This record gives sequence, structure tokens and C-alpha cells, in this order.
Amino acid sequence: MTENNFSRRDFIKLSGIGLAVAAAVNTITKVEASEGVKGKHQWAMVIDQAKCTGCDQCDQVCHAHNDIHPDLHWNKVVNAGEINGQMVYLPRPCMHCEHAPCVEVCPVGASYYREDGIVMMDYDKCIGCRYCQVACPYDARAFNWEAFTGDNPAVPEWGEPEIERRPRGVPEKCSFCYNRIDRGMAVGLVPGVDAEATPACAVACPTGARAFGDLNDPNSNVSQILRENPSYRLRENLGTNPRVYYLPVTEDRLVAES
Amino acid sequence: MSAIIKTIRENITTPWGLWLLFLGTLMSAAAVAGISVFWFGLSITNLTDLVPWGLWITLDLSSIAVSAGAFSLCAGVYLFGLKRYAPIARTATFVGLIGYTMAMLALILDIGRPDRFWKSLVFWNTHSLLWEVTMCVMLYLTVLLFETMPILASFDWLRKKYPRIAAKMESVHHYAPVLAIIGLGLSSLHQSSLGAVYGVIKARPIWYKPEMAVLFMFSAIVGGIAMTLLASMLSARLTPKAKVNDMLVERVAQFLGYLMIGYLYFRAWDWLAQTYTYEPGRTEAFELLTKGTLSFNFWFGEMIFGALLPTFILLYKPTRLSPFWRMLGLAMIVGGVVAFRFDTNIVGFLAVISYLPGEALISYTHYTPSLVEWVTVLGVIAYGLLAFSLGVKYLRVVDHRITNEEHETVTVGVGDTVNA
Repeated sequence: MTENNFSRRDFIKLSGIGLAVAAAVNTITKVEASEGVKGKHQWAMVIDQAKCTGCDQCDQVCHAHNDIHPDLHWNKVVNAGEINGQMVYLPRPCMHCEHAPCVEVCPVGASYYREDGIVMMDYDKCIGCRYCQVACPYDARAFNWEAFTGDNPAVPEWGEPEIERRPRGVPEKCSFCYNRIDRGMAVGLVPGVDAEATPACAVACPTGARAFGDLNDPNSNVSQILRENPSYRLRENLGTNPRVYYLPVTEDRLVAES
Repeated sequence: MSAIIKTIRENITTPWGLWLLFLGTLMSAAAVAGISVFWFGLSITNLTDLVPWGLWITLDLSSIAVSAGAFSLCAGVYLFGLKRYAPIARTATFVGLIGYTMAMLALILDIGRPDRFWKSLVFWNTHSLLWEVTMCVMLYLTVLLFETMPILASFDWLRKKYPRIAAKMESVHHYAPVLAIIGLGLSSLHQSSLGAVYGVIKARPIWYKPEMAVLFMFSAIVGGIAMTLLASMLSARLTPKAKVNDMLVERVAQFLGYLMIGYLYFRAWDWLAQTYTYEPGRTEAFELLTKGTLSFNFWFGEMIFGALLPTFILLYKPTRLSPFWRMLGLAMIVGGVVAFRFDTNIVGFLAVISYLPGEALISYTHYTPSLVEWVTVLGVIAYGLLAFSLGVKYLRVVDHRITNEEHETVTVGVGDTVNA
């Protein structure tokens, strides 16, 4: 067999196969890359660790506004060590990842993306398999091992419940107070600017350590803060692209603050 | 009524009666425990947010693994033409049906909302490995039901009372080769996907590797064949209703020995590869297996008694020919696969990787199954034993004298065209 045996017909055949394979690969990668439709807004939160005093008020209002069982946390304030004898804290809401492992693994699609980037839970669809908890790199989900009956100790001191209590047998997590965002925007308020349209934790923080806003808007507070300050996200090496950013505590920033 | 009491009184002291009494007690206790799980919720288990999957998942993974004899032996008999092993495939199919229903029972206990079980079939997230497993398991359970039709048709009562229905059920065996192909496809998919359920979890580095799928597939095949042979041999020793052709069993056991070499190769490779370089989280979890709380399970349960020793027993002729040693070897393989599934699941949870920035902080948690979990697991196993015992007694599930009606076979030469 010589090279001349490779006829024009063979060439066309081969290119046809090649095109078909390329088309198939293209479709596959398109499916792989889909992470929900990107909407007009992309909500994000910036937490300044230099301002956080670990007072836990954000967690308290979160419990009241979202009617959470006292043992469960959507927004744990974690002790993150100390710098120059000063305690450092890390409040941990749901990261609302762009590539959220919980959404990827949920067999029934009870975890899903909203167009504005919020990772949502459909508590009516969830079968309680807890695969999302297994997959979450941030321990952001809390399972309802028992029913939450009786009074919520955080109410009314820290606020009034705004959403329905979750039933026994489903995991729950922070929703960026989507209900406040939606209700606020319906009456023309701007999330991150107007308190009624902003997540309860950001509103309640006494030191203003939490900023909330739209990443798509270059003039929003979060866009500005992220432009002007060095920031980091948790477990960035996993490629989840969290929408919660942290401003780290550094020695010079501590000096500047005090 | 008094007649029933009289029959019970007469039979209760026979070995069969005592066996039923024993299994009945376990199952009743499990029924009470199971109802209390549904009533009080999962808070009465020792599962936590850090260890959300525990003993039930182990039972689930293990019973699906030891059911894998059904697809592998059926493929051997109906696709590779090893017809004389058909009676063993018959046993394997029945074991498979029992195993998958055991897994279903474990799952219904495990999910937080058992009342919404049907939603897993209606709402699809095709990206989820667990969706794939759910679909394949449901479809394969259907295939298994068809495959066991001819077995169920050998129930004497049914044959006498409804001979036409029995004949219809019997005739399903004509489709055995087709069912074997579908079964092979579905099983290959979900047996490996069960491993991939763990293998895709980036957050837990001890699991995050492609070979999880291969390890689960391979361990299922050896565990499934071992379970089938063990169940056959054990029932043949315990009851005259079961008849085995020891030569057939011995041949399959030898083949299993060779498969075990392959399994050992993959396990050794997986184990050695993890000793190389430090990876935060993975190394700590791996040390739990080799030096920590799981080291006894790992070295003795999985490696020495679970793989190395039984391979030797099944490949060394004198021990393979001895029914005692062969059965011991088969039991060790089954135990090794269960230990592998238990350790694999739990080790990913016990070493907790912190999400705090900077240095990788690893903390350790622990898990001991609660009494409710143990009682329900024993009850589900008792159900499996009961179903198999009834199959041996009434359905000739272990009967190597049965020779199936020949399927039409055509020898095709290369380049021939076949007009079926």
C-alpha cells in the first residue's frame, strides 16, 4: 500500500468523521460547561475580617429571619486564629458557588441555580439523601435531623421569620435572603443599598463588616471594594468560584483600624 | 386456628422451624426499629452533619456489590456460551434480586423523606451520579424480575394452581441472552457509578480519583461471584433440597481466584499510589486507614483476610478442593468487599478538611452506629437470608441438576450472512 492509495473519497470520508466527532465533542463540552443562565444581576457578598468582632449578631438575626432551629447554622461565625494577640473570625454563609458541587450532585435537582447566581434549595423536591452535604466543601448545609417545633428563641429579639420553616428530613442552607432581594426589587429597592432588599446579616452587622451587591454593576459597593482591596475566597483551588469574598486581616490593616 | 398452632408447635423445634424463628425475631425487631426511624426521624441515629452517610449506606453498597454475581455469571453463561454454568447463574440471579431489594430497604430508611422516594424517578438531574445510579438500579431491578420469572415459575403451588401463568413465566427464559446483555450494560454502569458517587467529590481528596469506579466495579464482581458460590455450597450442606455439582463450583472458584489477582493488583496500586507525596486531607484520611482507627479493618478485613489469603486459598489446589477451605475463602472475599465499602465510605468523613484559609487544618470526627441502625441492618440481612432459604426450599434456587432447555444457537463463519 502506497500513499497514493489515499483517495479523495477517503479524505472526504475521514473529514466527515472528523467533523462529526468535533461536533459531538462540542455538544458535550457545552453541556459540561452549563452552570445555569447568567442573569442581569450576579449577587455577591464581601466580608471584611478586619472589621468582624465575632459578636455573632449576624447568626442571631439569620436564625430569626429564616426561622432556623437553634442547633442549626446557615451562617456560622468561626474562630480563625489570631494575629498580634487579636482574635480573627470568619463568618461562613453559603458560598453560592458558580460551580456548586451541591447542585451538580443533587439527584432530583432540588438544589439549583437562580439566574442571579443564588444557589437555591427546593425543600419540596428534596428527598433527603444528603449527597449535597457530602459534596459541599464548606460544610454550609445543615440537615434537619429532627422537626423544629416550638418557639424560636431568636424571635422576636432578633427579628421576625420571613420564610417558611423547613420540614424534618431535608438539609437547609443560606439563601442570601433571596426573599428580601425579590420583595425589595419588586418595589424598586436596590439590594446592598436599601436595607429592606439586603440579606439580614449584612444589615445587622454592627461594624459593617459585610457588603452585599451586584458584581455585574461596576459601580456597586462590592465591585468597588473588590477592585480596591486584596481579597480571597475559601478553597479556591477547588474551582467552585464562590460568590462570597473575604478581605483578609493583615498586620498593617490591624494597625490602621486601631 | 388450633390446627395452625398445632403445626407450629410440631415444627418449631425442627432446624427449619428454629431458623425461621431466629430470622423472624430479627425481622420483628428491625420492623420496630424501622417504624421508630420513620416516626421519630433520623435524629435517633448516630449520623451527623459531619458523617451523614454511615452503616445503612454500607449495607446498601454491600448488598448491591454481592448481587453482582447475577450480571457477571449471566453474561458468562448467555453471552460467552459457558452453558454448563447455567445453574450457578440461576442462583446468582436470585441472590441478585434479593440483594437489590435489600438495598432498597436500606435506602428507604436512610433518606430523610421516605415519603418522597418516588420523586427520585420523576425529577431528573442527569448531571448527578446518584441520578444515574437510581435509574440503573430501578431498570436493573426490572430486568432481574424478568430474569427470576422462570425461577418463580418452579413454585409447585403456582404450577398446580395456575399452570398457564407458570408456563408463561417459564417461557421468559427464552429471552435470557437479551436480558443478560441489558443486565450487563446496566450493571456495568451503576456498579462503577456507585464508586464514582464518591470519586467525583472534590471536597474530599481521599475519594477524589477516577479509580473509585474501577475499584467498585472489580470488588463487586469478585464479591458477587463469591457470594453466589458461598450461598450455593452452604445451602447444599444444610439441606437436601439444595444440590450442587461440586466440579462446577470448584471451576468457578478457581476462576474467581484469578480474578482476585486482578483485584489485588488494583488495590495494591491504589494503596501504593497514595503513599506518594503529601496531599492535605488525603494523606490524613489514608493514615486513618493504615495506622489509625480503621487500620484493623483495612489490614485484616480488606487486605490480608479480605483479599490476599482467599486468593491463595482459591488458587492452591488442595485448599480449593476442600469444601471447608473453599467456603472459608469465599466468605473472606465477601467480608473483604463489605469491609472495603464500609472503610471507603467512612474514611472520607472522619478526616475533616477545614475551609479556613492558610495552612490546611485537618480535624477528626468519629462515628459509631446506633442500636437502631444495627437492629435495622440485621433485620434487612435476616430478610435476605429468609428469602434465599425460601428460594432453596420451594424454588430449587440451588439445584445444579437443572439443565435449561437449549437456546437456539447458530454457528456463524466469518463473512457469512445470517437469516434469523
